[in-house]
Amino acid sequence: MLRPLVHFFLIGGLLFSAKSVYEKSRIEGPAITVRVAVDATDANVETAVREAILLNEAQRLGWDRTDPIVYTHLIRNMRFIEPDSPDDDLALFQRAIEMNMQAHDPVVRARLLYRAREALTFVPEDRMPSRAELEEHRRTHEDRFEREGRVRFQQVFLSRSKRREALAADAREMRERLAALGDSAPAGLGDSLPGLRPEQSATPSELKDDYGAELAVAVGEAVVGAWRGPVSSVYGLHFVKVIGTEPAYVPPLDVIGAEVRADRLREIREEVRQERMAALREAYRITIERAP
Amino acid sequence: MPRFLSSALWLIALAMTVVGCSDAESRSGIADDFGRCADFDPLRQLFWGDTHIHTELSFDANMQGTRTTVDDAYEFARGEPIPLQPYNEDGTPTRMAAIDRPLDFVMLSDHAEFLGTLKVCNDPSSPGYGARQCVDYRAAQQFDASPQEVAGIFVELNALTAAEPQRARYPELCGPADEYCLEAGMDVWRQVVSDAEAAYDRSDACELTTFPGYEWSGGPRLKNLHRNVMFKNEKVTALPYNYFDEPYAEGLWARLREECVDAGTGCDVLTIPHNSNISEGIYFQNEMANGEPFTSEYVEARNAMEPVIEVYQHKGASECLPGAATADELCGFEVIPFSNLATTNLELITPPDPKGFLRHAYGEGMRLEASLGTNPFQYGITAATDTHISAPGFVAENDFKGHGGAGQPNRFLPPPPGFPDVEYLSPGGLTAVWAEENARDAIFSALRRKETFGTSGPRMAVRMFGGWDYPSDLCNASDLVAQADAAGVPMGGTLEPQPASSAPVFLVSAMQDSNSAPLQRIQIVKGWLDGDDYQVQVFEIAGDANNGASADLDTCELQGEGFGDLCGVWQDADFDPGQRAYYYARVLENPSCRWTTWQCSAAEYDCTDWDYAACVQRKQDFLPSDFTCDCCDPAAGLNQAFCAEVDCRDPGLLPEAEERCCHQVEPTIQERAWTSPIWYQPPS
Repeated sequence: MLRPLVHFFLIGGLLFSAKSVYEKSRIEGPAITVRVAVDATDANVETAVREAILLNEAQRLGWDRTDPIVYTHLIRNMRFIEPDSPDDDLALFQRAIEMNMQAHDPVVRARLLYRAREALTFVPEDRMPSRAELEEHRRTHEDRFEREGRVRFQQVFLSRSKRREALAADAREMRERLAALGDSAPAGLGDSLPGLRPEQSATPSELKDDYGAELAVAVGEAVVGAWRGPVSSVYGLHFVKVIGTEPAYVPPLDVIGAEVRADRLREIREEVRQERMAALREAYRITIERAP
Repeated sequence: MPRFLSSALWLIALAMTVVGCSDAESRSGIADDFGRCADFDPLRQLFWGDTHIHTELSFDANMQGTRTTVDDAYEFARGEPIPLQPYNEDGTPTRMAAIDRPLDFVMLSDHAEFLGTLKVCNDPSSPGYGARQCVDYRAAQQFDASPQEVAGIFVELNALTAAEPQRARYPELCGPADEYCLEAGMDVWRQVVSDAEAAYDRSDACELTTFPGYEWSGGPRLKNLHRNVMFKNEKVTALPYNYFDEPYAEGLWARLREECVDAGTGCDVLTIPHNSNISEGIYFQNEMANGEPFTSEYVEARNAMEPVIEVYQHKGASECLPGAATADELCGFEVIPFSNLATTNLELITPPDPKGFLRHAYGEGMRLEASLGTNPFQYGITAATDTHISAPGFVAENDFKGHGGAGQPNRFLPPPPGFPDVEYLSPGGLTAVWAEENARDAIFSALRRKETFGTSGPRMAVRMFGGWDYPSDLCNASDLVAQADAAGVPMGGTLEPQPASSAPVFLVSAMQDSNSAPLQRIQIVKGWLDGDDYQVQVFEIAGDANNGASADLDTCELQGEGFGDLCGVWQDADFDPGQRAYYYARVLENPSCRWTTWQCSAAEYDCTDWDYAACVQRKQDFLPSDFTCDCCDPAAGLNQAFCAEVDCRDPGLLPEAEERCCHQVEPTIQERAWTSPIWYQPPS
């Protein structure tokens, strides 16, 4: 909770305003020259341009002179160069700045790029998704949140391990008994299996995982209210009677709010990153220099 | 007040504020009521999960090149493919992985010790970012980092978890009073909890249940005492307490009791021990932090906080050691030939200590119970992967991608050629729970009451009940679960003494995984306390141990008949009502190819013939100069004929290369399930 606020006010606040500064006010941005290898591809050039813009923004905001990590790192550099220097940290830092060390040090560069990228993807309060927006997101991306339909069915099982050679004959007899059952439940019929219930609700995927594809297909194709089978599995033979079906559905927002919010926030971060980068990209005047 | 204490208290206060906020958010109109799932069964149904998963947030995984995230791990558990290392120079992954069936529940368990450290080192806004250790860490992460660079920082930091408890400290980079890492660790922990919330299916479809958690990774003097900490829900402690915060297990439990179990916030938590096999036998040692033997308070705390143990994972099985205590030819399953964490990581063959195995713990537990009134080791059984590539439940022998680096196990010890990891490791297992529904309350309760079992990977369903009056033909009842449940206790339970009964009766019913090999047999393992000695005996209760089934080593095709389902009722004819006892079931599949054989088969190696040229090449590349190619090497191919000629009666006297033959990995394995025991305690 606190860390994002610190980021907002101390780190990214100014950069966040890039969109309004450069886009809404139509202020022309800085002109910079980006040097790339002579054989750089278009993608390489674009990457270099974007990094140059972000670095320039970071420097424009003075982060290369005010950032505590840059400060510590430059002092460490100076102590390495001048191990016997009697100067205090501040003096060493100022000398490093005078030497323009911050412009060439790879750690400083990485640090500034990191801060700039963090700032680009920070989601300000006014972009946090409202309940209405989350509801809309849920509605327009139902495929991401849909739950599989379920089938409620009764099952009678005959074990191949237990019945062996009698399995086929037992199955024929069982089919006749089930046909005579009418609407009665098949209580006490068949063999047991761990987890097998006389009546249960399952998705086609669960059935496939538990008993194999053949049974899942048979249940999926079964006519409601009629016994079907025998259907073979690695365990033996199964008879199934579908009692009812529940179609696939998308749960309400009250139930999957955290899931929808996380999904939407991933999108928003990418949206604001692209918006801010595009605004900066458009405002900057870029000159490309290719060097061997 | 000392500065470090004041800093820690401030951080905890801040964390509580933060955690409180997330609780409030999660409570908004969302209840996790028992019975909310569309598929609810009061007689309980079977759910599959993995409670030991590492992502890029774990320091060791991170150093092994893992870049897959917490989100990736949840996606993988749902059945989505994820990218895997090694990565090319441009950052593109070279491999993909997908599980064959989704999991029902998961708990991510990244190492708590360096959660904050990694964030500090990767976050340039952190004051510790520029510290030398962070600079070295980032250098080791580079694509072209040398093995020495990787090993240097890995060992330097990871060694902190192997310090003596009184010397356990955060890394220097964490700054004064460890503030940088404590604060960063809190951030990461909060995100871990939040991510678990977002991934938890609160709809009545109940597709995936997630639990917040982490791994406490204490390994004093390299002896593994690691435990996973599993919270029931989003009500968690302020910090993920680690070895540096609480260097003794009892300190960890005290923190968890005070700030969670007894806090009145709806928080509940348990810890899951694992890899006692590489603890040099100290995991179940009768010694507290102060060096004194256990007290009744200690054993009560341990019994309450640790209801289950992880019996199997990538780094081997901890059930029993061949030759120890009792003859049991099936104890050899995936026993790794290492004694502690370092010898495991460095592949230094060292005999494990039998006191680090569960058989010993169960016996010792009964003995301690006799004197202290509570059994500290009355564990139920779970199994897991310990994946370090964000791949929960990825247990397929025919698609093993490795424990960690996947092609670069430690990034400083290369894998055997052609293999994704060291040959002694294995794909790990799964935890199965019998619960009313796939939701946090029900799953967590099942773990608490130990109605659980572990498997070596296949999803074979096993039910076990114990009672006094079960009929011998109970297996023929179509409602056997209802009958057994009504007249007895399920796995994990304790039989109440019955003065009028002669002996307890046990029912075990099992069905094979429809995607795996048929079953071969069911055994019951009985252990009992005879005076001050504990004994173990194994009983065959169903199936056929001599069914002749096997696997073709060239194609891995299964051969021979087995059973789709098995059921047995067994009465303990030697039962003595005055002796403490436990009974657990072991269900075995027909033999099938081990992952190493699958790799050989896929690569079309000739695993029955020694490839001298390959050995020489491998030796030139990275084996010690004194390694001889005159022997078989299970990593390069299984020269069974040669190894069969080696006299292994005293491996310690053999040349190193020949000694290796004595530790040859088996070309086939018998996948299995271990149920939680049913316990018997005589009247006091």
